[in-house]
Amino acid sequence: MSDKNTLVISSASQLLDGKTRRDFIRLMGVGGAAIFLPSVLTSCSDDDDNDGIDGGPIGPPNSGAPLVIDFAKGDTAVFQFAYALEQLEADFYTKVVASMGGFPAADQSLLRDVKNHEVIHREALKIILGPANDFTVNTNYGNLNFADRTAVLTTARTFEDLGVAAYNGAAQYISDGNNLLLAGKIASVEARHAAAIRDLIAPKSGSQGDTGTSFAPKAFDDAFRPSKVAAGAQPFVVERLTLNNAPAAFVQGPNNNG
Amino acid sequence: MTTQLKTLYDSIDPEILETVETRREEIAKGASASSKVMAALALGSVPIALGVLSKEAYGQAPADVVDVLQFALLLEFLEAEFYNRGVAAAGLIPAEDRAIFTTIMTHENIHVSTLQNLIQGKGATPNPKPNFDYTAKGNVPGFNFGATQYETFKVLSQAFEDTGVRAYKGQAGRLINDKPILTAALTIHSVEARHASEIRRLRGKKAWITQNSRDDLPAFTQAIYQGEENPIQLGRNVARLGDNGNGNFEAVSEAFDEPLTKAEVTAIITPFLA
Repeated sequence: MSDKNTLVISSASQLLDGKTRRDFIRLMGVGGAAIFLPSVLTSCSDDDDNDGIDGGPIGPPNSGAPLVIDFAKGDTAVFQFAYALEQLEADFYTKVVASMGGFPAADQSLLRDVKNHEVIHREALKIILGPANDFTVNTNYGNLNFADRTAVLTTARTFEDLGVAAYNGAAQYISDGNNLLLAGKIASVEARHAAAIRDLIAPKSGSQGDTGTSFAPKAFDDAFRPSKVAAGAQPFVVERLTLNNAPAAFVQGPNNNG
Repeated sequence: MTTQLKTLYDSIDPEILETVETRREEIAKGASASSKVMAALALGSVPIALGVLSKEAYGQAPADVVDVLQFALLLEFLEAEFYNRGVAAAGLIPAEDRAIFTTIMTHENIHVSTLQNLIQGKGATPNPKPNFDYTAKGNVPGFNFGATQYETFKVLSQAFEDTGVRAYKGQAGRLINDKPILTAALTIHSVEARHASEIRRLRGKKAWITQNSRDDLPAFTQAIYQGEENPIQLGRNVARLGDNGNGNFEAVSEAFDEPLTKAEVTAIITPFLA
């Protein structure tokens, strides 16, 4: 086992070690062999979210450390809340784009655009929030089959509608006009996404009431209070979404369901 | 609480009172109280202090909120009548697209009546519906909802919806201290964006606006798209966030819908006023 062209890997953590990786790459270059002991193979199956991509998820939803959004931070907290949602969306569509080869070309083009937008939203909020307010959301999509068009689009619709309701409901907690404007700039793009995804699911579908498949099911979009949004996102988030000092008062929108 | 103060409290709109109470608590906690408020309190004049507070709590005259609502009402009148006439026009909208336009028509009419109610709720009188010229003073030559004019109808629909999104967004800041109105306006704002998305896709376009492109719309609509290419968000230049496989600047510009000022929107819709 001391053969220079054989590398023994006995634990998963070794794979994270820089020297091990360099050795592994060197070995592959010279036609060497890497031996994975059984202990590695069991832990190697960390595709916990069944998205066909190893790494990332570190447990079932709501099982991780608390991800605290402290509304005592004011506008910063609202942007952190948005940042958590944008991380979730960006991660979701990145996985979608990686596995949508079997979808119609028009779907692929649209979903790639949406992925780009969500990544840009995430990165913009990251810059705006700064390192002191940064955090990472880990995701878990259960047994969602990312190659299943209907399953993917249905989940996308959930995220987009939730995003619209989140921005509409959180706006009332923003005290700075420029921050409010930025939230509005993103919110309407989420609404464009929501309608486009809905149109992919049920093309040209008219109003059929609140739970309908229409691109715009209601004359007013929903406005959800942060706790309701968190409850909607939690099934996909490993960390425990924890809202501290969340304002007790919430001004309802016209749909009165937030 | 003195009788005088209690009477005063009873006479104040509960919505204002709630905000004043919050401000009063802030002041009790030592938070910022303006010198005007402190001076009034020092004079022992609670009514004067309350008067100053209620105005400060709003940060703007309620008349400003009414102005926003009247402005929104004008836009919704423009849209509602457009769709009312379009859906009623014989042979204009193909059967397979009717569900889209009846849905949008229904929404715009609900927006009109809702805004009228909100304006009345502020003690003001909603402005009446003006007469509209959907040729935009000849910019859309001969348009009269004719059976052969469906393509033009969709062009105008896209123009109105994309304008609506930017118009509501531009007014949000003026509503920041009136949370019920702000929330109502934002829930209309995003529905206008859904409409815009659907119409753009119906026309074979992307659902979102790339840079300041008006696509194939006539030149007179360029003002609707001007400024959508803005790369600055909250003082940060985000132009390069689409690099490295995320759609480049095109995607950055699509990812943020930009506002229009009231003056810019007024200039856009004035040709449609008969």
